[in-house]
Amino acid sequence: MALDRSTIAIVASGFVAGVMSGLLGVGGGVVMVPLLVFVARQTQHQAHATSLAAVVLMGAAGAATFAAEGEVDVGLALVLAAGSLVGAPMGARLMARTAEGPLKIAFGVLMLVVAGLMVWI
Amino acid sequence: MDLTLPVILGTALFGVGVGLLSALFGIGGGIVMVPFMVLLLERSPHLAEGTSLLVIIPTAIAGVIAHHKRGYVSFSLGAKLGAGGVVGAVLGARLALSLAEDTLETYFALFLVVMGIRIIVEGVKMVRSDDQAIGAPD
Repeated sequence: MALDRSTIAIVASGFVAGVMSGLLGVGGGVVMVPLLVFVARQTQHQAHATSLAAVVLMGAAGAATFAAEGEVDVGLALVLAAGSLVGAPMGARLMARTAEGPLKIAFGVLMLVVAGLMVWI
Repeated sequence: MDLTLPVILGTALFGVGVGLLSALFGIGGGIVMVPFMVLLLERSPHLAEGTSLLVIIPTAIAGVIAHHKRGYVSFSLGAKLGAGGVVGAVLGARLALSLAEDTLETYFALFLVVMGIRIIVEGVKMVRSDDQAIGAPD
Protein backbone atom coordinates (compact mmCIF):
# COMPACT_ATOMS: atom_id res chain seq x y z
CA MET A 1 0.00 0.00 0.00
CA ALA A 2 1.58 3.24 -1.16
CA LEU A 3 1.65 5.93 1.49
CA ASP A 4 0.57 8.70 -0.85
CA ARG A 5 -1.33 11.86 0.03
CA SER A 6 -4.78 10.39 -0.57
CA THR A 7 -4.03 7.39 1.68
CA ILE A 8 -2.95 9.72 4.48
CA ALA A 9 -6.08 11.85 3.96
CA ILE A 10 -8.35 8.77 4.19
CA VAL A 11 -6.64 7.31 7.29
CA ALA A 12 -6.86 10.78 8.88
CA SER A 13 -10.56 10.96 7.95
CA GLY A 14 -11.14 7.61 9.64
CA PHE A 15 -9.24 8.83 12.68
CA VAL A 16 -11.46 11.93 12.95
CA ALA A 17 -14.60 9.78 12.57
CA GLY A 18 -13.26 7.38 15.21
CA VAL A 19 -12.49 10.16 17.71
CA MET A 20 -16.01 11.57 17.20
CA SER A 21 -17.67 8.18 17.69
CA GLY A 22 -15.56 7.41 20.77
CA LEU A 23 -16.22 10.84 22.24
CA LEU A 24 -19.91 11.17 21.56
CA GLY A 25 -21.14 7.63 20.96
CA VAL A 26 -22.31 8.55 17.46
CA GLY A 27 -20.65 9.81 14.33
CA GLY A 28 -18.99 6.90 12.58
CA GLY A 29 -21.07 6.92 9.42
CA VAL A 30 -22.36 10.48 9.45
CA VAL A 31 -18.73 11.70 9.54
CA MET A 32 -17.21 9.15 7.12
CA VAL A 33 -19.79 9.47 4.32
CA PRO A 34 -19.25 13.23 3.69
CA LEU A 35 -15.46 12.73 3.94
CA LEU A 36 -15.61 9.91 1.37
CA VAL A 37 -17.71 12.14 -0.91
CA PHE A 38 -15.62 15.31 -0.57
CA VAL A 39 -12.11 13.91 0.15
CA ALA A 40 -12.10 10.59 -1.74
CA ARG A 41 -14.56 11.85 -4.45
CA GLN A 42 -16.67 8.68 -4.20
CA THR A 43 -20.24 8.67 -5.50
CA GLN A 44 -22.91 8.89 -2.77
CA HIS A 45 -23.71 5.19 -3.28
CA GLN A 46 -20.05 4.10 -3.01
CA ALA A 47 -19.56 6.31 0.07
CA HIS A 48 -22.48 4.70 1.95
CA ALA A 49 -21.23 1.17 1.13
CA THR A 50 -17.58 1.91 1.96
CA SER A 51 -18.48 3.72 5.19
CA LEU A 52 -20.37 0.60 6.30
CA ALA A 53 -17.24 -1.54 5.79
CA ALA A 54 -15.28 0.79 8.11
CA VAL A 55 -18.21 0.78 10.57
CA VAL A 56 -17.73 -3.00 11.00
CA LEU A 57 -14.15 -2.45 12.24
CA MET A 58 -15.01 0.52 14.47
CA GLY A 59 -18.05 -1.26 15.91
CA ALA A 60 -15.90 -4.29 16.79
CA ALA A 61 -13.28 -2.10 18.53
CA GLY A 62 -15.97 -0.20 20.41
CA ALA A 63 -17.96 -3.31 21.40
CA ALA A 64 -14.78 -4.97 22.72
CA THR A 65 -14.07 -1.90 24.88
CA PHE A 66 -17.57 -1.89 26.38
CA ALA A 67 -17.67 -5.70 26.75
CA ALA A 68 -14.44 -5.56 28.79
CA GLU A 69 -16.35 -3.36 31.26
CA GLY A 70 -19.34 -5.73 31.22
CA GLU A 71 -21.47 -3.05 29.53
CA VAL A 72 -23.22 -5.24 26.93
CA ASP A 73 -26.63 -6.95 27.05
CA VAL A 74 -26.07 -9.95 24.76
CA GLY A 75 -29.70 -11.13 24.88
CA LEU A 76 -31.02 -7.73 23.87
CA ALA A 77 -28.34 -7.49 21.15
CA LEU A 78 -29.48 -10.84 19.69
CA VAL A 79 -33.12 -9.65 19.50
CA LEU A 80 -32.13 -6.37 17.79
CA ALA A 81 -29.74 -8.18 15.41
CA ALA A 82 -32.47 -10.70 14.48
CA GLY A 83 -34.43 -7.73 13.11
CA SER A 84 -31.53 -5.77 11.69
CA LEU A 85 -30.27 -8.75 9.67
CA VAL A 86 -33.67 -8.72 7.91
CA GLY A 87 -33.62 -4.93 7.44
CA ALA A 88 -30.06 -4.57 6.12
CA PRO A 89 -30.60 -6.27 2.72
CA MET A 90 -33.82 -4.21 2.36
CA GLY A 91 -31.88 -1.00 3.00
CA ALA A 92 -29.17 -2.01 0.53
CA ARG A 93 -31.78 -2.70 -2.16
CA LEU A 94 -33.51 0.62 -1.46
CA MET A 95 -30.17 2.46 -1.79
CA ALA A 96 -29.36 0.77 -5.10
CA ARG A 97 -32.77 1.80 -6.46
CA THR A 98 -32.42 5.42 -5.39
CA ALA A 99 -30.87 7.91 -7.82
CA GLU A 100 -27.78 9.88 -6.77
CA GLY A 101 -29.51 13.26 -6.33
CA PRO A 102 -32.34 12.13 -4.03
CA LEU A 103 -29.89 9.93 -2.08
CA LYS A 104 -27.67 12.97 -1.43
CA ILE A 105 -30.68 15.03 -0.29
CA ALA A 106 -31.88 12.24 2.03
CA PHE A 107 -28.41 11.83 3.57
CA GLY A 108 -28.04 15.60 4.01
CA VAL A 109 -31.40 15.72 5.82
CA LEU A 110 -30.24 12.82 8.05
CA MET A 111 -27.12 14.85 8.96
CA LEU A 112 -29.25 17.86 9.90
CA VAL A 113 -31.55 15.66 12.01
CA VAL A 114 -28.56 14.15 13.84
CA ALA A 115 -27.17 17.68 14.41
CA GLY A 116 -30.53 18.73 15.81
CA LEU A 117 -30.65 15.71 18.14
CA MET A 118 -27.13 16.44 19.41
CA VAL A 119 -27.96 20.02 20.33
CA TRP A 120 -31.40 19.21 21.69
CA ILE A 121 -30.62 16.15 23.86
CA MET B 1 -37.99 -3.30 31.05
CA ASP B 2 -37.83 -7.09 30.99
CA LEU B 3 -37.73 -9.00 27.72
CA THR B 4 -41.35 -10.27 27.70
CA LEU B 5 -42.73 -11.60 24.41
CA PRO B 6 -44.37 -8.31 23.29
CA VAL B 7 -41.15 -6.42 24.13
CA ILE B 8 -39.07 -8.98 22.20
CA LEU B 9 -41.33 -8.70 19.15
CA GLY B 10 -41.36 -4.88 19.28
CA THR B 11 -37.59 -4.74 19.70
CA ALA B 12 -37.00 -7.12 16.78
CA LEU B 13 -39.32 -5.01 14.63
CA PHE B 14 -37.38 -1.90 15.64
CA GLY B 15 -34.23 -3.84 14.65
CA VAL B 16 -35.60 -4.25 11.11
CA GLY B 17 -35.79 -0.45 10.86
CA VAL B 18 -32.25 -0.12 12.25
CA GLY B 19 -30.90 -2.54 9.63
CA LEU B 20 -32.71 -0.69 6.85
CA LEU B 21 -31.36 2.72 7.94
CA SER B 22 -27.86 1.29 8.43
CA ALA B 23 -27.52 -0.18 4.94
CA LEU B 24 -29.37 2.69 3.25
CA PHE B 25 -27.15 5.41 4.74
CA GLY B 26 -23.88 3.60 5.55
CA ILE B 27 -24.19 4.30 9.28
CA GLY B 28 -24.06 2.01 12.31
CA GLY B 29 -27.48 2.94 13.64
CA GLY B 30 -26.37 3.79 17.18
CA ILE B 31 -28.06 7.18 16.84
CA VAL B 32 -31.48 5.44 16.90
CA MET B 33 -30.63 2.34 18.97
CA VAL B 34 -29.12 4.11 22.00
CA PRO B 35 -32.12 6.43 22.64
CA PHE B 36 -34.48 3.48 22.05
CA MET B 37 -32.73 1.34 24.67
CA VAL B 38 -32.36 4.17 27.19
CA LEU B 39 -35.81 5.77 26.86
CA LEU B 40 -38.04 2.75 26.11
CA LEU B 41 -36.15 -0.28 27.45
CA GLU B 42 -34.75 1.61 30.47
CA ARG B 43 -31.14 0.47 30.05
CA SER B 44 -28.26 2.62 31.37
CA PRO B 45 -26.59 4.83 28.71
CA HIS B 46 -23.33 2.86 28.94
CA LEU B 47 -25.08 -0.51 28.59
CA ALA B 48 -27.11 0.87 25.67
CA GLU B 49 -23.98 2.14 23.92
CA GLY B 50 -22.11 -1.16 24.39
CA THR B 51 -25.11 -3.22 23.23
CA SER B 52 -25.63 -0.89 20.24
CA LEU B 53 -21.99 -1.38 19.16
CA LEU B 54 -22.40 -5.15 19.44
CA VAL B 55 -25.52 -5.07 17.20
CA ILE B 56 -23.70 -2.87 14.68
CA ILE B 57 -21.14 -5.63 13.87
CA PRO B 58 -23.51 -8.21 12.25
CA THR B 59 -25.79 -5.45 10.89
CA ALA B 60 -22.98 -3.68 9.05
CA ILE B 61 -21.53 -6.99 7.80
CA ALA B 62 -24.94 -7.90 6.31
CA GLY B 63 -25.15 -4.44 4.68
CA VAL B 64 -21.62 -4.70 3.27
CA ILE B 65 -22.38 -8.13 1.76
CA ALA B 66 -25.52 -6.79 0.08
CA HIS B 67 -23.71 -3.66 -1.22
CA HIS B 68 -20.73 -5.71 -2.39
CA LYS B 69 -23.02 -7.85 -4.59
CA ARG B 70 -23.81 -4.64 -6.50
CA GLY B 71 -20.15 -3.56 -6.63
CA TYR B 72 -20.46 -0.49 -4.40
CA VAL B 73 -17.88 -1.37 -1.69
CA SER B 74 -14.27 -0.15 -1.88
CA PHE B 75 -12.57 -2.51 0.58
CA SER B 76 -9.19 -0.77 0.30
CA LEU B 77 -10.70 2.62 1.24
CA GLY B 78 -12.83 0.97 3.95
CA ALA B 79 -9.76 -0.69 5.50
CA LYS B 80 -7.83 2.62 5.54
CA LEU B 81 -10.79 4.44 7.08
CA GLY B 82 -11.30 1.65 9.61
CA ALA B 83 -7.60 1.60 10.57
CA GLY B 84 -7.68 5.31 11.41
CA GLY B 85 -11.13 4.88 12.95
CA VAL B 86 -10.15 2.15 15.40
CA VAL B 87 -7.23 4.21 16.76
CA GLY B 88 -9.42 7.33 16.87
CA ALA B 89 -12.27 5.54 18.65
CA VAL B 90 -10.03 4.37 21.49
CA LEU B 91 -8.46 7.84 21.85
CA GLY B 92 -11.87 9.51 21.63
CA ALA B 93 -13.27 7.38 24.45
CA ARG B 94 -10.34 8.44 26.67
CA LEU B 95 -10.68 12.11 25.66
CA ALA B 96 -14.39 12.00 26.50
CA LEU B 97 -13.52 11.65 30.18
CA SER B 98 -11.38 14.80 30.26
CA LEU B 99 -13.18 17.32 28.03
CA ALA B 100 -16.33 19.40 28.27
CA GLU B 101 -18.92 17.47 26.29
CA ASP B 102 -21.18 20.45 25.50
CA THR B 103 -18.45 22.29 23.60
CA LEU B 104 -17.60 19.23 21.51
CA GLU B 105 -21.23 18.54 20.71
CA THR B 106 -21.67 22.10 19.44
CA TYR B 107 -18.67 21.81 17.08
CA PHE B 108 -19.83 18.38 15.91
CA ALA B 109 -23.35 19.68 15.22
CA LEU B 110 -21.84 22.60 13.28
CA PHE B 111 -19.80 20.16 11.15
CA LEU B 112 -22.95 18.14 10.41
CA VAL B 113 -24.97 21.23 9.44
CA VAL B 114 -22.28 22.57 7.06
CA MET B 115 -21.60 19.19 5.42
CA GLY B 116 -25.30 18.29 5.34
CA ILE B 117 -26.18 21.51 3.50
CA ARG B 118 -23.30 20.98 1.03
CA ILE B 119 -24.53 17.46 0.23
CA ILE B 120 -28.15 18.64 -0.12
CA VAL B 121 -27.04 21.41 -2.52
CA GLU B 122 -25.15 18.85 -4.66
CA GLY B 123 -28.18 16.56 -4.63
CA VAL B 124 -30.58 19.33 -5.64
CA LYS B 125 -28.26 20.34 -8.52
CA MET B 126 -28.21 16.72 -9.72
CA VAL B 127 -31.98 16.39 -9.57
CA ARG B 128 -32.40 19.69 -11.46
CA SER B 129 -29.93 18.74 -14.20
CA ASP B 130 -31.90 15.51 -14.58
CA ASP B 131 -28.76 13.53 -13.79
CA GLN B 132 -30.66 10.57 -12.39
CA ALA B 133 -28.02 7.91 -13.10
CA ILE B 134 -27.44 5.53 -10.22
CA GLY B 135 -23.92 6.10 -8.89
CA ALA B 136 -22.22 3.10 -10.40
CA PRO B 137 -18.65 2.26 -9.46
CA ASP B 138 -15.83 3.45 -11.73
